[in-house]
Amino acid sequence: MSNNNQLLPQMATVIEIVNETANIKTFRIRLNDKAAMNSLTFKPGQVGQLSLFGIGESTFVINSSPTRMEYLQFSILKVGEVTQKLHQLKVGDQIGVRAPLGNAFPCEKMKGKDILFIGGGIGMAPLRTLLVYMLDNRDDYGKITLLYGGRSPGDMAFQEDLHEWTSRKDMETVLTIDNPFEGWDFEVGLIPNILLDMAPSPENCVAVTCGPPIMIKFTINALKKLSFPDEAILTTLERRMKCGVGLCGRCNIGEKYVCVDGPVFTWAELKLLPSEL
Amino acid sequence: MNVLETMKKCIREALPDLDMVMGWEQGFDTLHATPLFMETAEDVDRLILGPTCVQSLAVHLPSLKGKKIGVVVKGCDSRAVVQLLSENLLNRENLVIFGFGCDGVVSLSRLKKKLGALDFIESAEKKDDRLCIEINGEQQDLPFDDICAPKCLTCSRPNAIISDHFAGPQRTPRIPAKGKTALEKFEEKSLPERFDFWKAQMQRCVRCYACRDSCPMCVCRDHCVAVSRNPHFVSQEATASENFMFQLIHVMHLAGRCVSCGECERACPMDIPLGLLRAKSTEVTSALFNQEAGLDQEAVLPLLSFNIEEETIEEHD
Amino acid sequence: MNNIFILRKDIDPWIKRMAEERTVFAPVHEGDAVVYRACDSGLRVELDTMPTTSPKEIVFPQNETLLTYTRGSGNEDGSVGVETTETLPSGKAVIFGTRPCGARGLLIFDQVYNNERIRDAYYAARRENTLTITIACNRPRPTCFCNSVGGAPDDSKGSDIMLYPLDDGFVAEALTSGGEELLALAPSSPAGEKAVKAKAKAGQAIETMGSPMDLSEVRKKFDLCFTDLAFWEKHSGKCLSCGICTYLCPTCYCFNITDEGSEEKGKRLRSWDNCMSFNFTAEASGHNPRSAKAMRLRNRIGHKFVYYPELHEDRLACCGCGRCITACPSSVDIRNIVKAVQEYSHE
Repeated sequence: MSNNNQLLPQMATVIEIVNETANIKTFRIRLNDKAAMNSLTFKPGQVGQLSLFGIGESTFVINSSPTRMEYLQFSILKVGEVTQKLHQLKVGDQIGVRAPLGNAFPCEKMKGKDILFIGGGIGMAPLRTLLVYMLDNRDDYGKITLLYGGRSPGDMAFQEDLHEWTSRKDMETVLTIDNPFEGWDFEVGLIPNILLDMAPSPENCVAVTCGPPIMIKFTINALKKLSFPDEAILTTLERRMKCGVGLCGRCNIGEKYVCVDGPVFTWAELKLLPSEL
Repeated sequence: MNVLETMKKCIREALPDLDMVMGWEQGFDTLHATPLFMETAEDVDRLILGPTCVQSLAVHLPSLKGKKIGVVVKGCDSRAVVQLLSENLLNRENLVIFGFGCDGVVSLSRLKKKLGALDFIESAEKKDDRLCIEINGEQQDLPFDDICAPKCLTCSRPNAIISDHFAGPQRTPRIPAKGKTALEKFEEKSLPERFDFWKAQMQRCVRCYACRDSCPMCVCRDHCVAVSRNPHFVSQEATASENFMFQLIHVMHLAGRCVSCGECERACPMDIPLGLLRAKSTEVTSALFNQEAGLDQEAVLPLLSFNIEEETIEEHD
Repeated sequence: MNNIFILRKDIDPWIKRMAEERTVFAPVHEGDAVVYRACDSGLRVELDTMPTTSPKEIVFPQNETLLTYTRGSGNEDGSVGVETTETLPSGKAVIFGTRPCGARGLLIFDQVYNNERIRDAYYAARRENTLTITIACNRPRPTCFCNSVGGAPDDSKGSDIMLYPLDDGFVAEALTSGGEELLALAPSSPAGEKAVKAKAKAGQAIETMGSPMDLSEVRKKFDLCFTDLAFWEKHSGKCLSCGICTYLCPTCYCFNITDEGSEEKGKRLRSWDNCMSFNFTAEASGHNPRSAKAMRLRNRIGHKFVYYPELHEDRLACCGCGRCITACPSSVDIRNIVKAVQEYSHE
């Protein structure tokens, strides 16, 4: 990001595209300015604004890990005008990037703790960056558990990763879909219910959850039932954003701006904010 | 009992069966009325009727669909209600209309042009065909026709044309003064002159959309083409040409529907004479379809009906 | 600093001289509105009433081009490059004839747009090259409430020059070195005893305003009434959700960013946006955290009287100019809403 003008994007090139699901694509991009790419740093959880000139900008979490800086990765669900156009990108196309923006997961504070990831649908994207980061710094963290759910097998993104994660011995991976499906060998059921069945211990554990608002709500209820303290529940929020730097005034919840004070919040912090989700 | 007290009595009697009744109360000074949403008998005490009751409360009706609402209407406001009913945007059975005969309303814009800033107004009272004002410690006595809303000068329907309760006497419609209308005068100018005029007016527009949001017939509300990105008809640039484009879209969407209430022009903080655009569109549509909006609840919108051959439209080869 | 006296008839020549170096924006009549326009001379400057629009547009224009872009020709690999050009504003300006509330509005902007945390390049480029000449108010309007939000009719904060009106002219005082330079261009005479008289007059103006509103409980009570949607529905009922209050407000700083043009060529534009509009927070998914007018009005009040003070040392994001009251087609009075919050009790 240019030092003196936060609203000016840097140009980047799409170097790889992965078709994750029918409506999610992953884009790997590299800044055109090699020196800028080499000096770029970010923390897991931070976001970026992607620009398609003539269409506009949208905010997405950087879901690659800062431990692997050969590219920046964004996984994008097709919903609106910008994301539809993004899905039409080809390898080699140019896009604008403003990144990193926002806060990050407290990776340092989480050291030595057990980590429980609970992701639903595209909500897996912000968890991926942290999970990969932790796996790359495996000794710093305790037991790592992932619970990831989608509506159907076809909605499960990150197949490449899932393959790796399910076969790793140093983490536990639980996958679930909403309804039974032929050939599906994993769990069937809604994420909060599966979570209650798993009954993870809240002892020295931090839960990180992201997904559709309704899933987050019931997942937090489940975590509370399992006696997770409010401070040990982390989530990331989404809001319509324009500037990404705390100016344009639309992503606020009370005096907090999701773009600069977030997107990562503990449940303890969220409870103090006005109820305007 | 005077008109106001009769109206209050009607409303108090009807209120128990309604969620609320919309009328006006005194605003921050004697020249400004503000909408009053009456829910209790005490609220009704604050009701006023008079030359400052400018707002067309019909604008709020579509968003209150589903509730049982009463609304106080002047003649021009009632036309908006009729038009909304004819477009099936309101349920008649959920609506109680309190009409009265209107004596005309004040145009603050015209008054400002006469008196300068209106900040220090002590009192204002309509006495027959004059407005008596105390401003800056001075008494001013102005012919009402000089400072009334332009629509009142030619008002043919001062009485609510639809009502469940009518308070006070019927007013006599105005016989339009001889002489040219504002539109006729404007059209005497040459095309370049008119274009220059609109360029100057439109560069002042700040795109606050008050003209749209105060319009009882602008029912797209939160889905207006002015902010749509797809289609991307108008840019966010507040230049004269883009502003004019928006205003012309607005007029076109109101063709055959505009009830000439003048709320767009009144709401404009920049004093852009939007009424001229409306007047032109009304002139054209009524000439083509021999129909005026907001008079007949059963009428079909001219632009929603289709004749193979329109009597008044000359076909081009 | 020295006080001088400038005759009313000398204002125009003064503006003309300042305009040789800077763009001078001064209030002029257009229709029944009074708007800021670039003046050199010949335009009749209106210095006796509060302008309809606020001076914010001079440092934060309704539309600001952030960059321009052009799609280049295809690369060898079939991909297409895009050239972008940053478009920072340049040039010096003078805001002539704002009121103290307008100058205060700019200070409220500074807290957000140009501070230790962030320096908005476009805003800073304009603001740092703009001088402010303010007219003290001898007769605040009935809708004025600057005395409730930390200001005063003769408040000189944020101004480079203060003009204190008398019948035949203005006593002028420079408050900064930039102001002194501008003042040196004015045809003038020593103010002498007029200075005391003019300042006393402006100083007394606050006494005509009535006592300041008690806002001491607003932040505490706002928390209490936040979830009382019926309260907010009652106060927003007559609001039309239009943008008058936000666009005329000297302190409303929210914006939108859109690309205007084709995918081949165009500009990225920053435009004023309106928090009272449904579209402001509508998300692509269809979700809208402030879908109802009541929620939007709550956010507008919250932003000005609760959230901004929370972030900026208890200062309010309202300068009390009353434009939102006088220009509102429904005559919504923000003072009544804030008062209702202050007096809120849940039953």
